[in-house]
Amino acid sequence: MRASCAALLAALLVVTHPACAQQPGTRPTPPATPPATPPATPSGMQGMPGMDHDMHDSTMAMPIPMPKGMPMMPGLVGLGPDVTPFLPGAGVDAARLPEARPSELAKLRDGDTLDLTATLVRRSINGHTFTMYGFNGQVPGPLIDVPQNATVTVRFHNAIDLPSSVHWHGVRLDNRYDGVPDVTQRAVAPGSTFVYHVHFPDAGIYWYHPHVREDIQQAMGLYGNVRVDSPDRDYYSPVNLEQTLLLNDLLVHADTLIPFGKEGPDFALMGRLGNVLLVNGEPRYALSVPRGAVVRFFVTNVSSSRTWNLSFSGAPMKVVASDVSRFEHEERVPSVLIAPAERYVVETRFDTPGRYALVNAVQAVNHYKGEFEAELDTLGIVTVSDTPAVPDYAGAFATLRHNAAVSHDIDRFRPYFDKPPDKRLTLTVRVSALPLATVQFMTIDTAYFAPVEYVDAMPDMNWLSSSKQVRWILRDDATGRENMDIDWHVAQGSVVKLRIFNDPKSFHPMQHPIHLHGQRMLVIARDGVPTRNLVWKDTALIPVGSTVDLLIDASNPGAWMLHCHIAEHLGSGMMTVLHVDPPGGAPAHSPGSAR
Amino acid sequence: MRLAGAGRRARRLAMLFALLPFVALSATGAAGPYDIMLHPTAAAPAAEGHARLVFAPSPFGVALTADGHAVYDVQITAAHLPKPSTLGAFTTYVAWAVSPDLTKWHRLGPVTNGTTTVGHADLNKFLLVISAEPDTSGAATRGPTVLHGTSPSGWLQSFITHPLFRGVSQ
Repeated sequence: MRASCAALLAALLVVTHPACAQQPGTRPTPPATPPATPPATPSGMQGMPGMDHDMHDSTMAMPIPMPKGMPMMPGLVGLGPDVTPFLPGAGVDAARLPEARPSELAKLRDGDTLDLTATLVRRSINGHTFTMYGFNGQVPGPLIDVPQNATVTVRFHNAIDLPSSVHWHGVRLDNRYDGVPDVTQRAVAPGSTFVYHVHFPDAGIYWYHPHVREDIQQAMGLYGNVRVDSPDRDYYSPVNLEQTLLLNDLLVHADTLIPFGKEGPDFALMGRLGNVLLVNGEPRYALSVPRGAVVRFFVTNVSSSRTWNLSFSGAPMKVVASDVSRFEHEERVPSVLIAPAERYVVETRFDTPGRYALVNAVQAVNHYKGEFEAELDTLGIVTVSDTPAVPDYAGAFATLRHNAAVSHDIDRFRPYFDKPPDKRLTLTVRVSALPLATVQFMTIDTAYFAPVEYVDAMPDMNWLSSSKQVRWILRDDATGRENMDIDWHVAQGSVVKLRIFNDPKSFHPMQHPIHLHGQRMLVIARDGVPTRNLVWKDTALIPVGSTVDLLIDASNPGAWMLHCHIAEHLGSGMMTVLHVDPPGGAPAHSPGSAR
Repeated sequence: MRLAGAGRRARRLAMLFALLPFVALSATGAAGPYDIMLHPTAAAPAAEGHARLVFAPSPFGVALTADGHAVYDVQITAAHLPKPSTLGAFTTYVAWAVSPDLTKWHRLGPVTNGTTTVGHADLNKFLLVISAEPDTSGAATRGPTVLHGTSPSGWLQSFITHPLFRGVSQ
């Protein structure tokens, strides 16, 4: 009762604030107080030739798909986000574009070169044709398979209608090739090329994607995996088959993609959660295996904002690895919870002939009814035949391995686990000029916010929020500085304890998958509870209200982004740079030029 | 005599520290999506308590069931619980996670004064009930409730009749 009264009082105060004093049913107008400053971000978008074409509308007066049983708020009907709509390939006849192909294997050796071209492609999804993007005409992009410790050259050609780049997610590579415009390079303009030399020091599953307007480019198909093979043939347990699963979602109304914001992301509050769920770019995943087959799945969440909970109709599953290493101990799990940008390697045994559904199962919050509702999406089917799998790896699957090499590697970091935090961040948000109905609803509704929101239960409000009105914030507790104004330097070779608190009392608390470029880190504790089974990560999910301790192995010199990997949060400012300075000071190189 | 004085100070300090979480919770209303204020009943009017939901250990950081329910360890801090025997033929206190319609009672584990971590709760919304019991093995409560509270998810409000939605039919 006390919380409800406080929320109501807060609502009364908020709606009298000049920034919120708008009439329901009107399009957001310039606020009486200065709006949230557009992020001083390395977006690389402004003034680039690829941004010259758009749909030439000032509003997006189209309906937004609402969840079943959830009405659009009357105060929001007819409004559109305060951005210019943008879709790939405006003015291009989709029929003249090549149909996207599935991902193809690009097996590279040390010293090899790969040409990687971002292009417009035609996609046919659920009977509808869309103009989207692909790498080398493929969605997902080529599966790059390299041996551990290889260095390969990737000549990236930008043939899309936006500036772009390639970020090698999770790879501890030379900072010059990290792919971040205005930090490690300039954005690659349409028609230009940038050459990356990428070294892969760690075995595992990684991925690549643009670091320019991820909310558009990733969502529209620019993503692919890199599998780095250990020379140790016993690195993983033996299996009958390996599969990569890249999870994405697409927001569609009837036969039309919901446009993106040209100047900055829309859906800035929660990120864009699609209503068509895709595995490897397709709405229906299919796999056929013999009875008893053990399959190793390399799972990557490339979606902008969705956190998934995957399982195979009760088929036994164990998790063996994550972003940058194997776990200390393999574990049986009922499902795989995976936040944006994370990877998990899981093994599953299909021991009974028949069909196993690959499902995403979550408990969605219906904010309209104030209730939870089970939501189940079938993403695909694994068909198991009567023929027995040969060899039979049931014994190996039944064994939960202890990876002593991982524990041994971590041992030298354990003395740092209990030290006081070196750095502290608070995650919060600042909003302005949102529609009054949105402000009223959210102020009262945030008496409770789920630690993790798995669906967009309020897409109307979310859609109307753009990066002009929403500024997501990483705040340095020590200085009060925010986002790119934070000036963090640590010495190469240091072990940095970073404590992150996700403030549950902000206007719109939400989980954040926080990603650190170019280093590896351990999640050593959550809410004061030590992690009992460690794994090297590059992305950590920070639920609402949680405090998470990260231990960073700051071994790789350079200027490295630290940001939320919800694409719309990143596009709304939620990023900073961690400078890892080598002995003698910061590295001398500056952002390179596209060629 | 000095020793006795030191003991009193130590007891006062211990009491102060024990009450700090209550003070913090009282000052902020509800502290966050993991905190439950426990309220005493007439059976034990001096009892105080609060609980904190902590994600059960999981390789994913956040523990979920296959159908998506969050799984929490429940940390209960209680003070001034009387001896169970003062309430009748009871020997212990037990914590329960109870569905809001009171049809499902899931025994979490025994509770004492101080902080106790009891078993997993995986209901979307639940009541947290602490009752006096004859033993710790019962499948349903058999004694008086001494403390109770509501999971933070219970604060979710229905907006169906709110003016924001008035006149809107599904």
